[in-house]
Amino acid sequence: MIIEISHFLSILATGLFFLVGYFSIFTPSSNSSYLSSLITRTYSQGFFFLFFSFLIYVWLAITDNFNVEYIANHSNTALPTFYKITSIWSAHEGSMFLWIVFLSLWGFIFNIRVNNNEILKPKSMGIISFILVGFLVFLLATSNPFVTILPIPPLNGADINPVLQDPALAIHPPTLYLGYVGFVIPFACAIAFLLHGDAEINWEALVKKWSVSAWVFLTIGITLGSWWAYYELGWGGYWFWDPVENVALMPWLAATAFIHSLGVSIKSSQLRIWTILLSILVFSLSLFGAFIVRSGIIDSVHSFANDPDRGLYLLGFIGLIVFISVFLFVWRLSSIKSSSVIKKFSKQSFISINNILFGTLIFSVMLGVTYPLIYEFLFDQKISVGAPFYNAIFIPVVVLASIFLFFSVDSKWSRSINFEFFTAPIFLSAVLSLALTFFVMQFFNTQSISILASIFAGSLIIFRYIYEIINFLFKKKYVNPFSVIAHMSLGLLLVSISFNSLLSTERALSIDINSTEEYKDLKIFFEDIGVENNSNYDSIQASFLVEDQNGRAFNLKPEKRRYFTRGQITTETAIHVTALRDIYITIGDQLDDGSWVVNVQINYLIRWIWFSALLMGFAGIILVFSNRAKA
Amino acid sequence: MNILLKLIVLIVPAIFIFLFFIILTNEDVYPGADYDQFELPDFELKDLDDSKRISIDFIEGDYVLNVWASWCITCIVEHPYLMNLSKTGVPVIGLNYKDEKQDAIVWLKKYGNPYQTILHDYKGNLALDLGVTGAPETFLINNGEIVAHYQGEVNDRIWNDVFMPIIKDREMF
Repeated sequence: MIIEISHFLSILATGLFFLVGYFSIFTPSSNSSYLSSLITRTYSQGFFFLFFSFLIYVWLAITDNFNVEYIANHSNTALPTFYKITSIWSAHEGSMFLWIVFLSLWGFIFNIRVNNNEILKPKSMGIISFILVGFLVFLLATSNPFVTILPIPPLNGADINPVLQDPALAIHPPTLYLGYVGFVIPFACAIAFLLHGDAEINWEALVKKWSVSAWVFLTIGITLGSWWAYYELGWGGYWFWDPVENVALMPWLAATAFIHSLGVSIKSSQLRIWTILLSILVFSLSLFGAFIVRSGIIDSVHSFANDPDRGLYLLGFIGLIVFISVFLFVWRLSSIKSSSVIKKFSKQSFISINNILFGTLIFSVMLGVTYPLIYEFLFDQKISVGAPFYNAIFIPVVVLASIFLFFSVDSKWSRSINFEFFTAPIFLSAVLSLALTFFVMQFFNTQSISILASIFAGSLIIFRYIYEIINFLFKKKYVNPFSVIAHMSLGLLLVSISFNSLLSTERALSIDINSTEEYKDLKIFFEDIGVENNSNYDSIQASFLVEDQNGRAFNLKPEKRRYFTRGQITTETAIHVTALRDIYITIGDQLDDGSWVVNVQINYLIRWIWFSALLMGFAGIILVFSNRAKA
Repeated sequence: MNILLKLIVLIVPAIFIFLFFIILTNEDVYPGADYDQFELPDFELKDLDDSKRISIDFIEGDYVLNVWASWCITCIVEHPYLMNLSKTGVPVIGLNYKDEKQDAIVWLKKYGNPYQTILHDYKGNLALDLGVTGAPETFLINNGEIVAHYQGEVNDRIWNDVFMPIIKDREMF
């Protein structure tokens, strides 16, 4: 009975969202105060129904209600309550449900935070509602999480995939989803702006904080995913250009360009065409991510079960959204034209260069994701596009973007900078960066242009902004904390990534019990190996005593687990974390001579990579909570 | 300039959506299937029931090699199809993958045994050489040569679409 109530509430919410959409878009007087308050209230009710439906669903999962097929297939009585909840987003139906609830949540917060007098609000709410209707119909018709097993439910449930029984994974998908769907707000406002067709409306200012908030969630979500893959999947690195990582990276790149472009449009009504296009692009790419993961078109750790019907529905719906948006854009293009010409070497000019460079990156990633599919379809051969392709494009473009960023710090809004190359900040930071790069080249004896160029570009940014901070501290010159922290984290990210790829090493050793192997400066002593029985898995646990050159010793206990319910074998890494490097050990199989294959990695500055990415997200939080950004 | 922008904005998404539509509706796409041909690697494994040693020369002719394990849920789903397949006269050889012998025997007693012979690959060495990533997986072997490989559950549709064309082509069985 309670399952049906939850199911029914979702259907009811779909109906209410449809009404909101219909009345706000297709009623000529949607700006009358009566209608707009009706829209506001109806949307909120729709949201409450949907949210309540989700809460009931969470409760069903907590109480092991295996009448629900989805819960029976993805949860288990033996799981801790925490993982019973997270099992909801461990597979397609439930995670789609969560995705939609988050979409409606953004709409709800927008609904209550934005005043009804705001001219774009009714139509924006209508667009959000129609998008919700589309996805709710998708959920209920093709991926219904409420399907029941009758008459006799299974006793125990099939269990969540063990690699998903992890705290990072519990928060990684929700954070990422909040980021993806958050871009519905700028998208809806941009479309509402196009529908109104009044170029005087400043939709950009309305969406700024919303866009940055969504960007923060996306940034943190991607970072958490990278961290999870590192220690839980045993991938041993921070980024693999996996198709699903790429479909998260594309909206992030687009969103980053969008936020920059937005700043210009708010400040000087320029780049408005870019801004609108980017708002459409960000949301389309977010939806594209959902399509790639859920249509089964790509095999990846992330992809859910293969079902062509789902793929076709999603493709059709996303196609509809994209085409309506671009037709509106084409239709209104002449009226939104940003009139004034952009001055050379003004802040605007640097940001438009940035837009172009980010566009290049997005296009390259898109190509990397789709080209193998097209190729396989045409020539029936699998090709893989991997790190070399992406490195070849990302390194030069990012280095170029960093150098433009470096010069843009001195640039002014709407005015050319007069280039005096020997002004202290530019000159000083260039010299320091060159010196650092040269030092790295000599000290680590490397000739790799891409590493040296990245270190140069990264340190250029860091030194330049350090100068800004000094100026702020001693001369009280105003700096934008968001910009300083976000860009410095970019510099830090570049430097960390460069050092990571320069210094990190790995080796597969074969070690006997009670013997010692040396690798680099490490002495690895294999103490013991044993079998341990747990409530839902067996594990082989090895114990190593590792001693580094300074005589510091520590224990590392990597494991291999076999989960009972699904028989899945997982590798549990053991990682010793220090400020500069991680020592990362996994065990493989036992060889015929009785020794064990042990994979040892020394990963330099890998924590700094995540730290800089999180810092970038933190910068966004500062912007969202600062008052000055309202302008 | 504006016309160009309009065209690009309309055409680029249209191309992508069209391509994805084609790829999605293309019926022949089976992501689990591959048709790389290679010689069956050398192996020597024990039989599951009486511990006799089986080497590469022991099994001749054409057969289906099915990788399974008692811990594998999908194998239970796939099982009735294999039972039928072996009744129609197709020789099915089992490769018991990373499994305890006793568990595997109990499992077969419970669900029935479609296999002519079962190789017990406890450490997964042969499976590694074959490129097995999990269970169930199924190989089609034509005179010591692997001619088709499918990752995932084999059912009527997979058999007809993935394996049948090769079987007809090579006049197997």
